[in-house]
Amino acid sequence: MPARSPLCLTGAALALLLAGPPARAQDAVGPSLECRVPNSQLYTVAALPAVKAAVAGKHALRLLAVGGSAAPGASASYPVKLEAALEQALPHVDVIMEHRGLPGEIASGAAERLRSLVADADPDLVVWQVGTHDAIARVDPTAFTEALDEAVGWLKSHGIDVVLVDPLYTASIAGDADYNRIVDGVRGVATKQGVPLVRRFEALRYLASRNEKGESHILGRQFRLNDLGLRCMAEHVALTIAGSLAQTAAIPTAQPKPAPDAAAPTGTPPASTVAPRNPG
Amino acid sequence: MREPNAIDFWRGFALVTIFINHIPGNTFERYTFSQYGISDAAELFVFLAGWSIAIATRQRDGTPEPGGRSVVRMLARTVEVYRAQVTVMLLALAIIAGAALILDNPLILEWHNAGNFFADPIQSVCGMALLTYQLGYFNILPLYVVLIGIAPIIVLVARLSQTAALGLSFALYLASLIFDWNLPSWPGEGTWFFDPFCWQLLLTLGFVMQEWNRTSPAFRRWTRRLFPLGVLIVLVGIVLSVYEIRPDPLLVPEPRLLFTFEKSYLTPGRLVHFLGVLLAFAPVYALIAPRIGMIVDFLSGLGRNSLAVFSMGSLLSLIGQLIRFQTGGGRLIDMAVAGSGIVALGITAWFVEWRSRKAPRPRA
Repeated sequence: MPARSPLCLTGAALALLLAGPPARAQDAVGPSLECRVPNSQLYTVAALPAVKAAVAGKHALRLLAVGGSAAPGASASYPVKLEAALEQALPHVDVIMEHRGLPGEIASGAAERLRSLVADADPDLVVWQVGTHDAIARVDPTAFTEALDEAVGWLKSHGIDVVLVDPLYTASIAGDADYNRIVDGVRGVATKQGVPLVRRFEALRYLASRNEKGESHILGRQFRLNDLGLRCMAEHVALTIAGSLAQTAAIPTAQPKPAPDAAAPTGTPPASTVAPRNPG
Repeated sequence: MREPNAIDFWRGFALVTIFINHIPGNTFERYTFSQYGISDAAELFVFLAGWSIAIATRQRDGTPEPGGRSVVRMLARTVEVYRAQVTVMLLALAIIAGAALILDNPLILEWHNAGNFFADPIQSVCGMALLTYQLGYFNILPLYVVLIGIAPIIVLVARLSQTAALGLSFALYLASLIFDWNLPSWPGEGTWFFDPFCWQLLLTLGFVMQEWNRTSPAFRRWTRRLFPLGVLIVLVGIVLSVYEIRPDPLLVPEPRLLFTFEKSYLTPGRLVHFLGVLLAFAPVYALIAPRIGMIVDFLSGLGRNSLAVFSMGSLLSLIGQLIRFQTGGGRLIDMAVAGSGIVALGITAWFVEWRSRKAPRPRA
């Protein structure tokens, strides 16, 4: 049963991460020291049925990472780092990564562009950094939330899983009401649509508070924090996906008991969670 | 300086629309025609560029100017547009970086795809010179460089046969839609926001239609007869965009781009809508021009100096976005930003014409 192994390993890696000594956890999927954030502040998990089906069925995961910069500088190793982190978290799975920047606002045009990106890439999973552009453009948070909700609903209606990544944190904007409403909006959509959320804003706020006396940056502390946030994102996203996958595996059993039962349902995903894929 | 005319008027109109639409989220965005149709000001702009090339490559008596002169003329224009794009990109990056520093807000660096530049200046600066690195909202001029660069081919082929020029252009358009041809973005992945292989059709259409309009009474008769069809298409466009009805790219049959409404590829839906807009609005200028003289003068002034006004407009809309961001936006700010921006566009046009009047006349 080769299909089982990746998920069992993921579960094992996660168990290690949650309970085991930090040194071991780092070898698996855990974040590096500078990126470590309590899980409760880092992400919310939700089922990823399409990812699970892809992993179980073909040992390959087509991932479309959307948003953020893609050049191979400091921040930009993001797509490469995410692919590496995921292949480490999901051994025996070939992660096929596509990355696309998505300049522009979700509330005006970028959501449409996302649709064509998705139609081109035909992914199992979309990891979407969303909200920063709309927040900076002062798009009405309600309009933003509606547009995002519609876009995520559209992805789900085509059986594509989504992981949302909310906007970056920076001190000069942390108290801004509109900005917080955008962050809340992303969280609201994630909850409503039942998709995993990487709480980058909270995670960076935590790292900011922890690193009060950390190294400085030539342009000021906020810029160092920003670099850190971009560096850590790949690890945080990988952790969220691994955590969500572990939960997806556990769904069919009402009350997942430890090892033996949790492994049982991984071979065949429940029909109800595998949405049909439309052609095209 | 030309007298105000329909071409300059509509081009000025498109420039103001693009300026407003490039400040997303602002109050006036919803009053632009782009919100009420499938195609928008970009189509108008490119079509009118083709129309203007047809005018520019003929002498006053209607005879075509020598082919060599046309080629050099368009080459010179290509260089001019390229220079504008490089200058505007540099200034836009400086505005973004400066705002991030002054406001102590690194988020601004990620804006409009600028993050690529700051994360990887070595590749990005090459991409900037190659036009393969484009900021969001700063992607029309690269299209324009390519289009005017290939325009000599269109012009020369059309001198032999207009049907051949249109046929070749349409074949390239269709093939690009079917096989998804586009120029690559670099650094970073993806493709150009405006696909030159598709958008060249609109330039060719503008060029050929100007010639038809000048020489063919039948063409002029038919554009009048088809006016109701144009109105119908415009109405359908309004309904579709108000109710946000558009094809789902995952549900349409292959080849997908023949059926979706994607701006990047000027898909057939957008093209048909734009032709409908042309039919419906072609007679409008003659009707309104006598009644709104001041506005006609102003917009024609912008249209006559479209490259300078467009370049300035794209920088002003970026500054407008930053002002909206820092002040929190709102109706008053939007009015101030849009109002002073449009005045600044007018000053830009005036300045360019003043400077060319002052400049020593080239001899011979």
